[in-house]
Amino acid sequence: MYKKDRYRETDKMSDLICDNYPMVLVMCRFGIKLGFGDKTIGETCRQNNVDVSTFMTVVNFLIEEKNSFIDENVAKSLSVEALIIYLHNAHDYFLNFRLPHLRAKLVGSINDCPGDVAFIITRFFDEYTEEVDKHMRYEEKAVFPYVRGLLEGRKDTRYNISIFQKRHDQIEMKIIELKDLLLKYYPGEGGHSLNSVLFDLFATAQDLFTHNLIEDNLFIPAILVLEQQT
Amino acid sequence: MNINLKILVAEISSIVRSGMEVQLKRLSGFRFQLIEIARSELIQETIRTHKPDILIVNPSMIIGFTIQQLKEECGCPAIKCIALLYNLTDRSVLRPFDEKINIYDTNDEIRQKLEQLYAEKIQNTAENDEQQILSAREKEIVVCVVKGMTNRAIADRLFLSTHTVITHRRNIARKLQIHSASGLTVYAIVNKLVELKEIGKQ
Repeated sequence: MYKKDRYRETDKMSDLICDNYPMVLVMCRFGIKLGFGDKTIGETCRQNNVDVSTFMTVVNFLIEEKNSFIDENVAKSLSVEALIIYLHNAHDYFLNFRLPHLRAKLVGSINDCPGDVAFIITRFFDEYTEEVDKHMRYEEKAVFPYVRGLLEGRKDTRYNISIFQKRHDQIEMKIIELKDLLLKYYPGEGGHSLNSVLFDLFATAQDLFTHNLIEDNLFIPAILVLEQQT
Repeated sequence: MNINLKILVAEISSIVRSGMEVQLKRLSGFRFQLIEIARSELIQETIRTHKPDILIVNPSMIIGFTIQQLKEECGCPAIKCIALLYNLTDRSVLRPFDEKINIYDTNDEIRQKLEQLYAEKIQNTAENDEQQILSAREKEIVVCVVKGMTNRAIADRLFLSTHTVITHRRNIARKLQIHSASGLTVYAIVNKLVELKEIGKQ
């Protein structure tokens, strides 16, 4: 579906986005706005004060769909500050935009089914949102402050990134479950609006999955390097 | 139902690796999660961390360890090792492998080889497909779970051992592919096994 070659910073930003449109989210999470004209990826990043090599690494990692730890040399070249901004903005996107919007859309599209079913589906979604919130809040409240400390040269001896590595679990399973429940058992008529919700559920599950991949395979290795240096 | 398999492809050439990936993704009846590596020294570590079901490997990358050691020492005794062949290779080198894939193999041949390796699993999955409907007992258990009862309480109510309750719950999860209690609640309400007022609002 998408082109799978590695991109270079001399390629045009618009080519990258047109070839792989989910990258528009990546760009936005790094803090790059639309309206980049015909500029290259490198120029656009520099203009927005985004670390070019970190941006390229994330983009190429996602495009290649590799599920493995990055090399230590690549981990060394990453800007941890840029990664934290990226991850934080992604959390903000999921919690304050994606999930609330999806909820509103879901509630609006299941009103043709019995009230108790609509109620229980909505409750499932709310419980799920709560889980995602907890998962991401831990990263915001425990992991990022620890990493910011490392960046300032302070090492908190009570914590290390392998604690996070061990407890970091998948968060997309339940949203996949919801999609399956709707597909297999939805008792109402459904229609365009519910189909659109299903598309969103597929996309959100994929987005959450790759979000976790970045944390596991880019962020954690980068912090392991940082821990050695601090 | 698709068979889910995690495959590690270890091959130096990125062209061959990508070709393998494309071929595998075309096989219906399977759903693959692929991991690719290009360097011999990453094989053991990657198996340890990712625990793949299958290793498809260029035999020339097995350096400094044997297939036997790989299975024993990487915490993956059940891993199937498939040699990826594109030149003549000595028979003694190939003996420890579970299967061979030649780069001239057709899609059907690759499918047959994988189906043979996983014949038992495919058989089980086919049987499961037929038995996706819950038994009366399993439905009773779903209702109890949805009402928030513990395994202990369910066991007491239905005169079962907790061990049996756990086995039932595992079978239910497998049949329905629903693993959370809240997912079961949705299932139970939609299929009218319980009414909302029976499970309490929270």
